[in-house]
Amino acid sequence: MESFIQQLINGLSLGSVYALIAVGYSLVYSILLFSNFAHGGFLVTGGYICYYALISTGNNIWISGLLALCGAGLTAIITERLAYKPIRERTSVTLYLLIASMGMSIVIENFWVIMAGGRFRAIPPVLPTYPFKMGNLTISSFDLLVFGITILLLFGLEFFLQKTKWGLAIRAAAYDLRVAALMGVNVNKLISIVFFLAGLLAAVSGIFLSVRYTLYPQLGFITIKAFVAAVVGGLGSLRGAVLGSLILGTAEMLTAGFISSQLRDIVVFGLLVLTLLLRPTGLLGKAVSEKV
Amino acid sequence: MLVYLEGIIILMCINSIAAMGVSLLTGFTGIFTLGHAAYMAIGAYTTGILTMKHDVHWLLAVMIGGILAVAVAYLIGVPTLKLMGDYFAIASIGLGETVRLIIENWESLTRGARGLPGIDSFTTLPVALGFLLTLTIVTSNILKSSYGRAFKACRDDYLVASLLGFDTAKYRILSLCISAFYCGIAGGLFAGFMTFLQPTMFDLQKSTELTAVVVFGGLGSLSGTILGTAIITLVTELFRPISQYRMLIYGAVLVLVMVFKPEGLMGEKELWSLFKRRDETWRKRS
Repeated sequence: MESFIQQLINGLSLGSVYALIAVGYSLVYSILLFSNFAHGGFLVTGGYICYYALISTGNNIWISGLLALCGAGLTAIITERLAYKPIRERTSVTLYLLIASMGMSIVIENFWVIMAGGRFRAIPPVLPTYPFKMGNLTISSFDLLVFGITILLLFGLEFFLQKTKWGLAIRAAAYDLRVAALMGVNVNKLISIVFFLAGLLAAVSGIFLSVRYTLYPQLGFITIKAFVAAVVGGLGSLRGAVLGSLILGTAEMLTAGFISSQLRDIVVFGLLVLTLLLRPTGLLGKAVSEKV
Repeated sequence: MLVYLEGIIILMCINSIAAMGVSLLTGFTGIFTLGHAAYMAIGAYTTGILTMKHDVHWLLAVMIGGILAVAVAYLIGVPTLKLMGDYFAIASIGLGETVRLIIENWESLTRGARGLPGIDSFTTLPVALGFLLTLTIVTSNILKSSYGRAFKACRDDYLVASLLGFDTAKYRILSLCISAFYCGIAGGLFAGFMTFLQPTMFDLQKSTELTAVVVFGGLGSLSGTILGTAIITLVTELFRPISQYRMLIYGAVLVLVMVFKPEGLMGEKELWSLFKRRDETWRKRS
C-alpha cells in the first residue's frame, strides 16, 4: 500500500510536468488549430539556458530560471515569426504549418547539438531533492516542489485567461480566430503572447525534466507524451490537457513500479489508442464537427 | 568508389519505394502520417527473421513482410482513420513508436536493442532498380485508375467526395494499406542491403524523413517524390562529413520549402506532363 501511494505521488509529479507541456501545446492548438511539433524545442532551449546560466551565475536559480523562461518564450515567438507567420498569412492549410513545425523542431534540436554537444548533462544541485519521511512514506521534496509550482503556474494561467483583457482575447480567438480579428483583436500580438506563454511553461517543464533525468538535445522527445496527454484529455481543452497529463503520469509510474519499467512507454501509447477508439475527442474535448 | 556509388543508388531506390508509399497516402489522399517507419520496420524484421531463421527465399520473405505490414496497417487504420487531421498524425506517431518499442522489447524474436546481424545481402542494384521500376509503374497505374481519382477526391474535398457517393472511409483505408505495403517492401529490401537491423533505424526521425521527402518533392506528384528522394538521399550522403550541421540544414530546408514553396519541387505536376505540355503548345503553334 505504501509503495502504491509512493508511486502515485511520483506519478502525479511526473504528470504535472507533462501538464505544463501539454497546456502550452494545447494553448497553441486552440488558437491556430495545428500541432506545434517544435514545442519540445522550447523545452530543451529552456533547459540549456538554465544550465549555462547556472554555471555562469554561480548557481543562482532565480536569475537562471528567469533567463530560461524568457529565453524559451522568446524562442517560441521567434519560431512563430520566422516559420509560421509567413505560412498562416498566405494559406489556411494547417498541413504546411505542421511540416514547418517539424522542421523547426529539427532545427532547434540540432542547434543545441552543435552548441552544446550531444552529451548528457546534469543540472547543478540547486533544486531540493532530499527525501523526507511522512509516517511510513518517503517523499522526495522535489516531487512536492514540482507539484506545487505546477499548480501555482496553472492557477496563474487560469487567472490570466479569465481576468485580463488579453485573456479574454485569447479565449475569443480560441473560439474563432477570424471573428476575433474582426472584433478588433490584434491577432499577431495575440499569437505572440500565446507562443510566449507556451514557451514559458515549456521552459519550466524543461528545467524540471533535466533535474529529474538529465539534459540532452533530444530531451524534447518527451513532449510526444504530452501530446498524447493532450489528446487523451481532449485537444484544445486546457483542463483536459491537465487531466490527461495526470492520468498519463500516474499510469506510467504505476506501470513502472508494479509491472516493468520497459512497458511504461507502451502503456502510454496504448492509452492513446484506447482513447482514440472509445472517445476520439478525448475526455473533455469538444465534439469536432465538420462545418458544411 | 564504385561500390560506394552503387550503395547510394540502392539506398535511393529503397527510399524512393518507401517515399512513394507515403506519397500515395499524404500526397494523393491527404492523410498526414508520422509513423510510416513502423511499416518499414515490420517489413525489415519479417524479411530478416524469415530468411535467417526459417530459410525462406528472400523474394518470398520480402513479399510476406509487405503483406504483414498491410495487415498491421488495416488493423490500425480501421479505427484511427475515422480521425481527422492532427489526430491521425499524433496517433500515427504513437503507433510508430509502439511498433518500435515492441521490436525493442521482444528480445526472443528480434534480439531487441542489440540488433539483428547477419542477414543475407540480397539487395543488389538490379534487384533494387527492378523493384523501384515495377512499383513505379504499378503506382502510376493506380493513380490513373478510378481508385487514384477517388484518392484525389478524398484529398481535395472530403465532404464533397462523400456527398458524391465515394465511400471515403474505404478509400482512406485502401490508401493506407497500399502505402504500408510499399514501406514493408522497402523495409525488406533495406534489410537485404544493410544486412544488419536495429530498432533505432526506424525511429520517429526516419518517419519524419519519409514525410519530409514527399513534401519536398511535391505533394501530389509521383515523379516529384522520386526526384525529392534522390536529391535528399544524395545530399545527406554528401554532407555526411559535416554530420552535425547536416540535420540543422535539413530542418531549415524543410521550413524554407514550406515558407517559400509549400507545394514542393514539382507541385502537383509530373515530370512527364511537363514535356507533354511543351509538346501540346508546340502543336498549337504549328
